Amino acid sequence: MSRLTRRQFIRRSGVFGAASLALPAILAACGDDDDATDGAAGDGTTSGSGSGTSAGTSGRTSAGTSGGGGDGRLFFENWPEYIDPTEDGARGTVDRFKKATGLKMKYTEAFNDNNEYFALIQPLLGAGKKIEPDIIAPTSWLAGRLITLGWVDKLPLDQVPNAKNLRPDLIKPSWDPTGEYSLPWQTGITGIAYNLDATGRELKSVEDLFDPAFKGKIGMLTEMRDTVGLILLGMGVDPSTIESFDQAADAFDRLGAAKADGQIRAFTGNDYLDDLSTGNFAACIGWSGDVVQLSRDNPAVKFIIPEDGGISWADTMVMPKGAENRDSAAEWMNFVYDPVQAAQLTAWVQYVSPVAGVREEVAKIDPELAESTLLFPDDATLKRLHAFANLPEDVEAEFDVAFSDIVGA
Amino acid sequence: MAATEVEAGPPAARRVDLIGLGALLVAGALIAAIGMRLITGSLAVLATVLLLAVVLGLVFAAVAGGPDTRRRLAPYGLLKPGMLWLALFYLAPLFTLLRASLSTLPSRFAVEAEFDWNFGNYADAFSDFGAQFGRGFLYAGIATLLCVVIGYPLAYVIAFRGGRWRNVLLGLVVVPFFTSYLIRTIAWSSLLADSGPIVGTIEGLQLTGLFEAAGIIDNGRLINTPAAVIGGLTYNFLPFMILPIYVSLEKIDPALIDAAKDLYSTAGAAFRKIVLPLSVPGVFAGTLLTFIPAAGDFINAEYLGNPNTTMVGNSIQDQFLVQNNTPLASAMSFVLMIIIVVAVLSYTKLLGTEELS
Repeated sequence: MSRLTRRQFIRRSGVFGAASLALPAILAACGDDDDATDGAAGDGTTSGSGSGTSAGTSGRTSAGTSGGGGDGRLFFENWPEYIDPTEDGARGTVDRFKKATGLKMKYTEAFNDNNEYFALIQPLLGAGKKIEPDIIAPTSWLAGRLITLGWVDKLPLDQVPNAKNLRPDLIKPSWDPTGEYSLPWQTGITGIAYNLDATGRELKSVEDLFDPAFKGKIGMLTEMRDTVGLILLGMGVDPSTIESFDQAADAFDRLGAAKADGQIRAFTGNDYLDDLSTGNFAACIGWSGDVVQLSRDNPAVKFIIPEDGGISWADTMVMPKGAENRDSAAEWMNFVYDPVQAAQLTAWVQYVSPVAGVREEVAKIDPELAESTLLFPDDATLKRLHAFANLPEDVEAEFDVAFSDIVGA
Repeated sequence: MAATEVEAGPPAARRVDLIGLGALLVAGALIAAIGMRLITGSLAVLATVLLLAVVLGLVFAAVAGGPDTRRRLAPYGLLKPGMLWLALFYLAPLFTLLRASLSTLPSRFAVEAEFDWNFGNYADAFSDFGAQFGRGFLYAGIATLLCVVIGYPLAYVIAFRGGRWRNVLLGLVVVPFFTSYLIRTIAWSSLLADSGPIVGTIEGLQLTGLFEAAGIIDNGRLINTPAAVIGGLTYNFLPFMILPIYVSLEKIDPALIDAAKDLYSTAGAAFRKIVLPLSVPGVFAGTLLTFIPAAGDFINAEYLGNPNTTMVGNSIQDQFLVQNNTPLASAMSFVLMIIIVVAVLSYTKLLGTEELS
């Protein structure tokens, strides 16, 4: 996968024409609309090769056009490298879904950063207009914000029998207390990723990110809860207990100082992978599955949960207000919550699946993978993971201002 | 001549002039008011009708009046298309921006800012982003200077030594423009990468120490440094410097230089006294074409810089598109615009030539 195609995900001009002035859109426009998935999905208009021939795993034979209004073409907008593509003779999830149901589907990878994505949809959803995707995958805190703002619709969960497979700890989560608006896509771990060639030594703790030897070679995320959360852990503070800004002020000072003295090379969204792979970043804050995927191609790249602990998070499927293809969306959620399907997804993305029973299915595909504590955290690992506290809105505003003062341009 | 005629003319003729001027002012004010959204909805429709009436009224007055009236109104009629064009596509957006810069977001996730003469945005623009303004102008200034230093000799060689290769050489200057600006900048980020060919070559030649001493390489990295940002700006805007300088050099008659030499001038003196003064308009145009866009650029700092090298363009982009803080972003755009206008005006005063000012 080339540097450019990977960058194409940053922002898609085809999705929000109004945002086409944004620079990544210009780049995205260089590629054909359908190339952006890097072959992960192919274009929905081609409708899979087995359209109409299959009975469908859910036993339903709904034609695309009957899908709860809309044009029958399901549109899922997700983060990059977040689904198994059709490659090496194996059929990717999107193609399997299209073949199994005969539905049309468009899959894009426009998420790079939650704040950026929110800024993109805010003018539309805030003005009561619809956005194009039927399903989007914000991180839990943003999903919580969208739910509070009333910018998402309830999911058609009565049409998703497989939703019963949701992992017990994710039922009625803090960001969606009724559990009616969101269904997790993947959950995962924020830790430290490093390139052994560039560091020359193994890393252990958050403190390593502040090692003067790596001056100018450290990357951090524009995701406040990941970056500040990990620094808090490094200072011995559990981010799940944060209630006021004062409790985190020291971590912000530390971050500000590290930026000012040039320790930090860049604050990135999901685009940290290139810099990590080439060694521009000796070490950075990263997401477990991404880095494990990358280390398959580049063994020098490693991921650790630092000894101080790691951050756990969830990206969750929600349906923006007014999304049209509700039936198809229900079909999709049902499909990916089938443990057999979810296992194939997990084996590729290497994140922690929100679907119960995936481990057994993964064991059938790759027994070694089923033993990985990064994919299936055992109790000892779970004890080291902390979710960032659910901040009340006024406190969150304080955090956001302080954070954007440091990482913002 | 027209002025003396007005002075000498009867009072009626002077009034005709006032009608023309008044019509222009009314039309301009209406467009500005619509732009600032001081009048909206059905009032705006009414204003548009009024605008059309003013234009048609002027035409009617000119046609119905005698030849004398027509002659006096003609300049205003001729100005009208240009003025209205400017009002529609420049003044109206400008006023919208001005209005946004004086607005306040009523709540954190509000979409529409409310206009309330909030000058606080301007105070914030200066207090929070002073460093970015400073860096923006500093980097743009250095890049412009480098462009002159590199571009002038190049244009000189093409113009005077290019011979029949002139057009080919000029074409080669422009060829990189066939690729997107963004792609070229991102290409530099691979070339300058820590494990990339340029750092590798410098290390191979054992010159790292020298470059570190010069402040170009920082802890073994070339990219994500101020030097990379300035280099990127220089590279991207160089053709805007070369082309105007080339045009002004190309117009110089070589016979002038021959004449200088016939009068026992040295080559250096001939260049100083003849070529350089005659090419000043090109340098002047080139610096404006380079400095103004470079000062507002954000792509080079985004891809080649680090968190401490952000320019004002990055801040404006961040406030507009990531923070969704339109009022602050508009205020910053305005400040940037005003500083550039003042800078350009003083520069014009200093170096301006008759051809341009």
